[in-house]
Order: sequence, then C-alpha cells, then structure tokens
Amino acid sequence: MWMEILFLDTALPPPPSAPESVRGRAGAWAEFHGCVRAAERGEKIAALRYDIYEVMARRMVTTHLETLEKKHGLIAARFWHRGGIVPVGEAAVYAAIAAPHRREAFAALAELMDLLKTDVPIWKAEVVPA
Amino acid sequence: MKILYFAHVAKALGRREDDLYVPAPITADDLWERLLALRPGLAPYRASIHLARNGEYADAAGEFSNGDEVALIPPVSGG
Repeated sequence: MWMEILFLDTALPPPPSAPESVRGRAGAWAEFHGCVRAAERGEKIAALRYDIYEVMARRMVTTHLETLEKKHGLIAARFWHRGGIVPVGEAAVYAAIAAPHRREAFAALAELMDLLKTDVPIWKAEVVPA
Repeated sequence: MKILYFAHVAKALGRREDDLYVPAPITADDLWERLLALRPGLAPYRASIHLARNGEYADAAGEFSNGDEVALIPPVSGG
C-alpha cells in the first residue's frame, strides 16, 4: 500500500490528488478534512493547540493503516496532522484513502478517524479568546 | 532513561522531559514510585496515564531500563 504520514506545524497545504501509482486501480479516493470549530463544549474558543508525540504517532497510524489495508483492501492512504496552534476554521487533520470501491474507502476513512481518537498520541487543548 | 511529558501533564509540571537513572531494570510500579518521588505533581494523573517504552505502549509485565525513552501518555484527543 502506498502511504504518506506527515506532521506539520504550519497550515496544511492544499492536498494533491491521488498518487499517480494508484490511478487506474482505485475506484474511490475518499478525503476528510477535520476543522476547528468556533466552540468546544459550548464555550467559544480562538484555536486548538495540538501536541504530538511524533515518533509514536507515526508508528501507530502506520499500524492502523496496515490493519485497515488487510480489512478493506486499501490501495493508498495519506494522513496529515497539524501540531501547535490551529485557529478556528482551519484544518487540523487531513486523511485520504484509496480503495477499489467507495464503500471500502468510506468505511476505512471513518475507522481511521475513530482509531486516531483511541490510542494515537496526539492531544488538543482549547485556546480561549484574549 | 529519558522521561517525556505531553499535553496537560507537561503543562502542569512545567516541563516536557526528565532524565532518570536506574541502576537496574525496573517494573512499571517501581518506575511510578520513582516518578512520583521526582515529580509529586504527577499524582492526580497517574490513573489516566499509560506508559510507552521506545514509542510503543508498554505491557504491564514489561521492565524499563536506562537506555529507554519512556513517554507518559494521558488520554489522547487527536483529530
């Protein structure tokens, strides 16, 4: 499986399209952008601050993607997560999955995001307006 | 061994890492005893923290040695 995992401390760039190597094999390239909302638990916020243990996070996302590859027959995956301050309205995470069919791609993408919140060492904290 | 702190735990302690010397490999319970002696501010978080050794969650029976990088992992919240 083609795989790209990046942790960035700047705004996530516009993601490129599916990698060249999967074209013709993937019937679906499903994408997800996780963005910061203006309120958390009913309180207005200015941003979220993310802390990432990168070495371990990379290893765990790799393991989860390999598990999802076996389960759903994935062809490619791209996972980007931003660290540091992420202002309201901006994306903190971008994930994309290529699979032969849309059902597998959608399912794997949803499962990846659930797994991310289970055990991948990334943390967020609210930054309140000044 | 290097001890790493993250997120609200790092904020509460005011630091992101410590160096801890142990004369011989120690269990997780022994490690916690030493950590709490070194950083009493960890006490409120102990029940919610998982230990990771060299980038992987440590199992309960595992031991920790001087060359290890040990991370204290509070509940995660990525995405």
